[in-house]
Amino acid sequence: MTLLQTAPKKQTLAQIRQQRSLVRGINLRTNANTLSPSSFQARKAYMVSAYQEGKFLADPEGRGKPRPNPMSDPAAMEGMMGMMKGNMAMMVPQTLIMGWINAFFSGFVIMKLPFPLTPQFKSMLQSGVGTRDLDVRWVSSLSWYFLTLFGLQPVYNFILGSNNAANQVTQQMGQVNPGAGLMGPEQDPDKLFLNEAENLEVLEHRWILDGVEDRLLARTAG
Amino acid sequence: MAQTNLLSPPSTISPPTALQLSQKAPRIIANPPTSSLPWPLSLLFSAETPEAWVTHENALYACLRTHDDAAARQLLDRLSARFGESNERIITLRGIYEEATAKNNGELEVVFKKYEDILKQDPTNFGVRKRRVAVLKSLGRTSDAITALTMLVESSPTDLEAWAELGEMYAKVGEWARAIWCAEEVLLVMPNSWSAHAHLATLHYLSTQSSPHLAPLNLSLKNFARSIELNDSYLRGYYGLKLVCQKLIPLLSESSSVSKRNQDEDGPPPNLETVKKLEELATSKLAEIVRRYQPGTKEWQGYDGAEVIAARELLNRDANTER
Repeated sequence: MTLLQTAPKKQTLAQIRQQRSLVRGINLRTNANTLSPSSFQARKAYMVSAYQEGKFLADPEGRGKPRPNPMSDPAAMEGMMGMMKGNMAMMVPQTLIMGWINAFFSGFVIMKLPFPLTPQFKSMLQSGVGTRDLDVRWVSSLSWYFLTLFGLQPVYNFILGSNNAANQVTQQMGQVNPGAGLMGPEQDPDKLFLNEAENLEVLEHRWILDGVEDRLLARTAG
Repeated sequence: MAQTNLLSPPSTISPPTALQLSQKAPRIIANPPTSSLPWPLSLLFSAETPEAWVTHENALYACLRTHDDAAARQLLDRLSARFGESNERIITLRGIYEEATAKNNGELEVVFKKYEDILKQDPTNFGVRKRRVAVLKSLGRTSDAITALTMLVESSPTDLEAWAELGEMYAKVGEWARAIWCAEEVLLVMPNSWSAHAHLATLHYLSTQSSPHLAPLNLSLKNFARSIELNDSYLRGYYGLKLVCQKLIPLLSESSSVSKRNQDEDGPPPNLETVKKLEELATSKLAEIVRRYQPGTKEWQGYDGAEVIAARELLNRDANTER
């Protein structure tokens, strides 16, 4: 059971710092209007120069170099292997089950839907049955297998625990790691930092506390 | 205030409630959430929910606060049996337990050594890093704690807790400018938190307490006003607003001609009329809170008793000086 589960990958301290420093810059940009102009200017100057110097980079030496080929990078390789492992763990039993169902039950009609459907559903509900005039409401066994296959996720979760390998595909699609979209393996952190520095430079600062006294008085008066 | 139960974060719990919560510990210990049956059956009969473990954790904190160490030990054992000894949270929880049961500074030093060892193996365990700061703080080594915290925010600059704690520490040693920087950092993560605004305002106010200056008081006034704008029944906001206004009014009226000159980059100083009106507003609102709190109207009971008493004191003092 534990073999099928994959632990989230650990980041090093420098990587955490790199990622969170970027988030800090984004926070500064989005929430800048809560700061007074002087402290915003001080922060902006600090962040922009730090970003441009590459102060927060996890790997300062690798700055400006092109990304290594993922095939030769052992860390990326490991990630891909993990993905493969997850996929295989799901594929193998399902291939077996499907072959078995196909061999024994092909051509069987196992149920009738209680509602009428348009003929477009024929290919979805009657795979493996070659009868053209059969009503669409009849469902063939192979189709029923496919329908249940995609509907069985909660059952898998119940039996294997929510972090099981059969679940990996959906997880990879929804991407678990919160920073991954921000700083994926294929993106150069240095470029991201420079980009963020530029964003900060051009930001127009408006202080939300400007005139807050009058707003407050106007609100209580009105 | 929200109802306190074992699912809410432990920092907001007052001592009597903590005692009440820790008295629930025997019941939690008596009902293990995991089932003792073998594998396929245990799936069907276990009542294990994420909430159950949150309850365990908070009960553990409550027990440690109320010195119920035996119950705390049992809860901790159960948590580590479920999540494994090497889980980051469990390591931190065990550290908290050991800190709480340490009898003197010598034992705390032992805990501290242990943290150092853990961090040498895994420097990314932020829970343990924070505990390390906490130990330094309880050993009274404030400057070491500040250094450790600066390291922590250096490697994790979006950590709200760490920034807030660092701000507290700087405020304690009187480094107002740095404390203000930290408070602003908190504000950047939570821009709509009225308590963060009020905290920043308090720091600005305290920084100029010995010799009142216009610029910090102005910032303080604006931040208090903002915290009230965000939450118009916030007692601390009104209290602070009143204090700041009381300082500002003499300052503004004596330097009304000078004020043009020292225009600072954070906007012009407030106008005397506005400040007077704001003070009136704060006074009337505080009076309302104090008045309604006493007869025990249900909607007005959310305030902290001590804060209401302080507000009443302030109003009384005010009334006496006017007479």
